[in-house]
Amino acid sequence: MIRWAILIAILVTSVCLALRYGQISVPLDVLWNGLGTNDGPGSLILGTIRGPRVAVAMGGGFVLGLSGALFQTLFRNPLASPDVLGFTSGAGLAVIFAVSFNLAIAPTIAAVAGGVFAALVVAAIAYQKGVETPAITLILVGLGIGFFATGLATFLMTVLPTSSALEAQRWLSGSLSGSTWGNAGLVCGLGSLLALFALAQSRALGVLELGNDMAKGLGLSTEASRWTISGTGVLLAAVGVSLTGPVPFVALIAGPLGAVLSGATTVAGRLLAGGMAGAIVLVLADLVARVAIPNTQLPAGVFTGLIGAPFLLWRLGVEMRKGRV
Amino acid sequence: MISLENVSIGYSERPVIDNLTTEVPQGKVTTILGPNGCGKSTLLKALACLKVPTQGCIRLDGIDLSTLSSRDRARKIAILPQHPIAPDGVRVGDLVRRGRTPWRGALSPWRTEDQAACDEALVAVHLQHDQSRTLVELSGGQRQRAWLALVLAQQTPILLLDEPTTHLDLVYQIELLQLLRDRNRNSGLTVVSILHDLNLAARFSDHLILLGAGKLVDAGPPDTVLSADNIRAGFNLQALVTRDPITSAPMVVPH
Repeated sequence: MIRWAILIAILVTSVCLALRYGQISVPLDVLWNGLGTNDGPGSLILGTIRGPRVAVAMGGGFVLGLSGALFQTLFRNPLASPDVLGFTSGAGLAVIFAVSFNLAIAPTIAAVAGGVFAALVVAAIAYQKGVETPAITLILVGLGIGFFATGLATFLMTVLPTSSALEAQRWLSGSLSGSTWGNAGLVCGLGSLLALFALAQSRALGVLELGNDMAKGLGLSTEASRWTISGTGVLLAAVGVSLTGPVPFVALIAGPLGAVLSGATTVAGRLLAGGMAGAIVLVLADLVARVAIPNTQLPAGVFTGLIGAPFLLWRLGVEMRKGRV
Repeated sequence: MISLENVSIGYSERPVIDNLTTEVPQGKVTTILGPNGCGKSTLLKALACLKVPTQGCIRLDGIDLSTLSSRDRARKIAILPQHPIAPDGVRVGDLVRRGRTPWRGALSPWRTEDQAACDEALVAVHLQHDQSRTLVELSGGQRQRAWLALVLAQQTPILLLDEPTTHLDLVYQIELLQLLRDRNRNSGLTVVSILHDLNLAARFSDHLILLGAGKLVDAGPPDTVLSADNIRAGFNLQALVTRDPITSAPMVVPH
């Protein structure tokens, strides 16, 4: 319980820091005063400038982290997260595709379509009849599909006019600038629904964890459960990507980080902790992106990449020593 | 009682189990014996519906197993596979709770009867004081008993176990087999397991099913099944069959 309290405290502190600091820093009491009134710097920062941005970072980070924890548990592999498996790149590509060809589709719909499509392609390539697909196959196929989607997105940007291409480039590297309360509402609304659905799957996930034979022996329809859980995970990741861009490695880091911070041993606990860790990582990454270089706003994805890539390499090393890769 | 009628399992051109007709008596301890690769595991999986026969029919009290829903089947037959996967950092209590899966809806709350089943299962395997320990902290014997508690919490009249004593020291093997037999004697649980040790099987079983290369060699009480002829037929092994001086069960001594 104490560790959960610490996890919540870290999240609250991160949010406060993210609201307080930026190109200008605003003391907390000014922010507090701005909460009640409709004018003054506190209100402007909370209501227009940083409020929606931090809310989107929190919501987007939560759904990405939850999605990561979901896939990592399902495939029993800490590397199997939607960013490594190529789903977020697929979602990103679809959004760029819609923008490039002036398709009148909401980014969320495009991202969901792209994420689902990428997941189906990965599943189709990795599928072997009659055996449970090894996580390593999925990871390698996913990495390949991810690179392909990212490459295609970069190529598509060449057909865009320069200004939109720059904007698309920012978005693709995972940026939270330009977030609105509408975005925050979307990610919180859809995110909460999907999160509840994911938590309802935690019992099935806990049984799948014991291996296919054990799960079947306990009366679970293993195939149907896998598809439902994967579908939920892809939707969660796509909702996140549609608002934050395919920000790298948040989903990868969140699961293990949440597990360490919370000490959770139950499946539902690990999922929840993964979501919260994702929120913390993205809120802090966005904060660092805003304050690192004065008068310049970097995409948050630059920093998640800087933390995430070494983490991926370290984790890969650990898994290789364990003989699981 | 589980009855198998002309059951073939595996690939149609090369069946692992070929045209097997036998039965598993109710309320008894049954052991499946046979050399490596003879299809013991495949047979056990078919009894739990993890494998579907390509031919023939497996009936439980006259009902075709394949007509049962997976949940209904899981309320009648539990299986402990040879290599269940232990989730990282899982605690004994949490592991055993998962045995209640077939009795719970996706969203139904944890009921007193679920808790009672888990408590009872933990007491049966002598792990009632170890609920909050993680599985990795336990010894090999304790770990296997924790898995056993999971399938006992499933509260089925039939329990299948795939090589439950493999990788255990002799002391723990005997402890586990004793536990299974006590469970059978006290609550009428039908136990079907795969064992490699013929002498332990003879000592702890009421009924043996001896397989040799996908075919039935013999089935019945240990006294009749463990004959020198059957062991030659099943294992291609010359052996002397004598009496265990302690239990007077048949004892196989290879030449």
